[in-house]
Amino acid sequence: MEADTVIQRLDGRAKFIYFLWTSFLAYIFYDYILNIIFIAVTLALAAYAKVFKPIALTLAIIILPWIAIATPILSLPLGFPGNETVIYMIKLAGYEIPIYLEGLGYGITWPLRIAVTISSAMLFYLTTNQARLVAAMVKSRVPFRAIYMVIATLQLIPLLVDEANTIYQAQVSRGLRTDVGVVKKIYYYIALVIPLTLSALNKVQIRAIALESRGFSAPVKKTFLYEAEFRARDYVFFLIMALATAFLAYVYVNFGYSPLAHIKYPKGIWG
Amino acid sequence: MAEPVVIVDHLTYSYPATPNVLVDVTFQVQKGEVLGIIGPNGAGKSTLCKALNGLVPHFYGGRIGGRVIVAGMDTMEHSVAELSTKVGLVFQDPEDQLSGLALTVYEEVAFGLMMLGVPKEEIDHRVREAIKKVGLEGLEQRSPFELSGGQQQRLAIATVLALKPEVLVLDEPTAQLDPIGKFEVFSVITKLAEEGSTIVVVEHEIEELATFTDNILLLDQGRVKAYGSAREVLTMVEKLKSVGVDPPSVTELTHILNKELGLNLEEPITLEEAFKIYSEVLGVA
Amino acid sequence: MAGEVVIKVEDVWFQYPTGVWALRGVSMEVTRGELIAIIGQNGGGKTTLAKHLNGLLKPTKGRVLIEGLDTRTAPQYEITKRVGYVFQNPSHQIFESTVWDEVAFGPRNLGLSQEEVEKRVKWALSLVGLEGYEKSHPYDLDYGKMKLLTVAAVLSMKPEILVLDEPTTGQDHRGRHILAALCKKLNEEQGMTVIVITHDMRFVAEVAERTILMADGKILLDGLTRQVMTAMGILRKAAIKPPQIAALSNMLNNAGVKINALTVREAVEQFRRVLKKP
Repeated sequence: MEADTVIQRLDGRAKFIYFLWTSFLAYIFYDYILNIIFIAVTLALAAYAKVFKPIALTLAIIILPWIAIATPILSLPLGFPGNETVIYMIKLAGYEIPIYLEGLGYGITWPLRIAVTISSAMLFYLTTNQARLVAAMVKSRVPFRAIYMVIATLQLIPLLVDEANTIYQAQVSRGLRTDVGVVKKIYYYIALVIPLTLSALNKVQIRAIALESRGFSAPVKKTFLYEAEFRARDYVFFLIMALATAFLAYVYVNFGYSPLAHIKYPKGIWG
Repeated sequence: MAEPVVIVDHLTYSYPATPNVLVDVTFQVQKGEVLGIIGPNGAGKSTLCKALNGLVPHFYGGRIGGRVIVAGMDTMEHSVAELSTKVGLVFQDPEDQLSGLALTVYEEVAFGLMMLGVPKEEIDHRVREAIKKVGLEGLEQRSPFELSGGQQQRLAIATVLALKPEVLVLDEPTAQLDPIGKFEVFSVITKLAEEGSTIVVVEHEIEELATFTDNILLLDQGRVKAYGSAREVLTMVEKLKSVGVDPPSVTELTHILNKELGLNLEEPITLEEAFKIYSEVLGVA
Repeated sequence: MAGEVVIKVEDVWFQYPTGVWALRGVSMEVTRGELIAIIGQNGGGKTTLAKHLNGLLKPTKGRVLIEGLDTRTAPQYEITKRVGYVFQNPSHQIFESTVWDEVAFGPRNLGLSQEEVEKRVKWALSLVGLEGYEKSHPYDLDYGKMKLLTVAAVLSMKPEILVLDEPTTGQDHRGRHILAALCKKLNEEQGMTVIVITHDMRFVAEVAERTILMADGKILLDGLTRQVMTAMGILRKAAIKPPQIAALSNMLNNAGVKINALTVREAVEQFRRVLKKP
């Protein structure tokens, strides 16, 4: 069941633009603090819209391990081409190992940039129900067939999950076991994938002729039940984004953010 | 007399990969008539249904001979989309024929109207009317995937009724349903028939067909093996059995009793008729 | 050993992860060599119960014993060996490129020798009448033969108990006759205990000596098919229509005629007697 907060009621396009805006700024500025701000704001919006858990979970699974693994590797000597500024020395077994700022920064900032993109994309997806999504795509002049393909795939997935379960049970009934070696496992995997693929193809075929029989290919302008239109709340949202951009620009120009923001990089390093 | 709603004239069809799926099929359906089509699997019944709305040959390709004219439109000269306002085709898979674009029953029924660009004001009225005809009032806001098989098939019927076709074609609509689902769907079909709809229904449930069809077409290996009133065809016990179709049990029973006991009972095609006949014969009427 | 109880379902309750209670205190016993039909509306618990019989589902409460083995503790492998389950939709199981390999999948999984596998495949194919199709591609077969293929693919594991889930759905009348004959053959010639889940009342009448009617996760009726088909009140409540001949018998019975037939053949014999003809 979908929550009904102001976030859900925003036009799908507004949330899509938010996704584009945050991602754009995150990539223009090489700044982990800015990224953290964006992620925090997105998570706050998500919490208000009651979709906090899936987004937080996804970030935890993807981003945290990434940072944990990449940062140590990159910040050590030879880990990163631009390593020159030492910010700390680790004393280990009589040796002194320097930790470099550039590598550290790279190891933190890139995953966080991706996190900004993932979190705002998920916010868009989780708070825009199917009807509003279709309406937003129609208003944005996405071709109808493309819209259909996106939506129908989304609807097909739970059906296929059910089928996969049934197929698994059917093959278990014929002796498929999980306590076998790798080679057998691959063979069994095929025993699951082939019926599933054929089932999916069959469903698509049936759906295709059912759709054709209901005028899907009629060369007329389709009627849609919902129209996406910008309302007051969407304009307020855009206004906030514009103001925030101006504010960020001001702060950045006058104060900067993290130490990373002021580093000069050798040419060729994308930062 | 007005022109028949469906004219099939020496229809012969081969799929690209399978020859002679239909051979020289000829029949007609008058306005308000209910035609049942029976026959073993592989007889070409599904193909025949698809030939009525243009899927054959436009979607499948292949070679076609003869003519199919529905509501005055030659299926060779009109697209499937154009024919969709004349022929409403319902398939046997309740879930798989859902559009995949609708979140609610209401949207599903509206789907065809949306595809044809019908103005929004008119859509609401037609959707509600169709939903009422199949008895799904109250379920407008539910997800189509939450419905039972019988409800989903009724939904499928509603989605084509909304387009106000001149003939409703149902290809084994109850094959995948449980007894209650079958009952629900047959009830809707019977009701529509009583209201004067023109209906073509392919089914294996011959005992049900016997209760509401006017005429029956027996198809086997692409050819018409019998075509006439329901009573005429369903009492052709030997011919039906020779192509692997069981006549209604009571018909077969009476046929055998007549043959083996030298009786001359009228052969019933429904349970009610059988009860009347036998209670008279046994003196308990 | 006739008379031996091979399946014991003891007060089984089952809840799906969605929270729905699909079985609410089901108890029954099956003795070796029975041929049973389980009927009822979808959602009544037929398939859920059937899946407990081969260990695919384990009871939330209560237990299921297959030849003495508790399905909750015995290895799945041991249950699979004893209970063959033929799923409704052939395309949920078929994945090999020849009929032979498809039927060999089961016995190969049992780790049998090449010789034994060959023996079993030949045997299974001849039982269902698909000899000569060994090298065919499963998808070249028509639906009726594909159905027989899935039965063969389970038979090749030589289970003592066979469960068939909706074998006649999507079949034409000829297919139904072939399956009915096959069920009877497996039961009578091979001594298999056969359990069929079905909506097809004509099939039930032709094939099953015993019928179990389920609704709302409970068993409403469990007895001889002949008796179950005359329990008009309960059948009506469960929205089940008996086969036409049984319905006719019921109606004539109410009018005072002593007829109790399930199939056309039986009815012919009984009418012959009632009409006092030789």
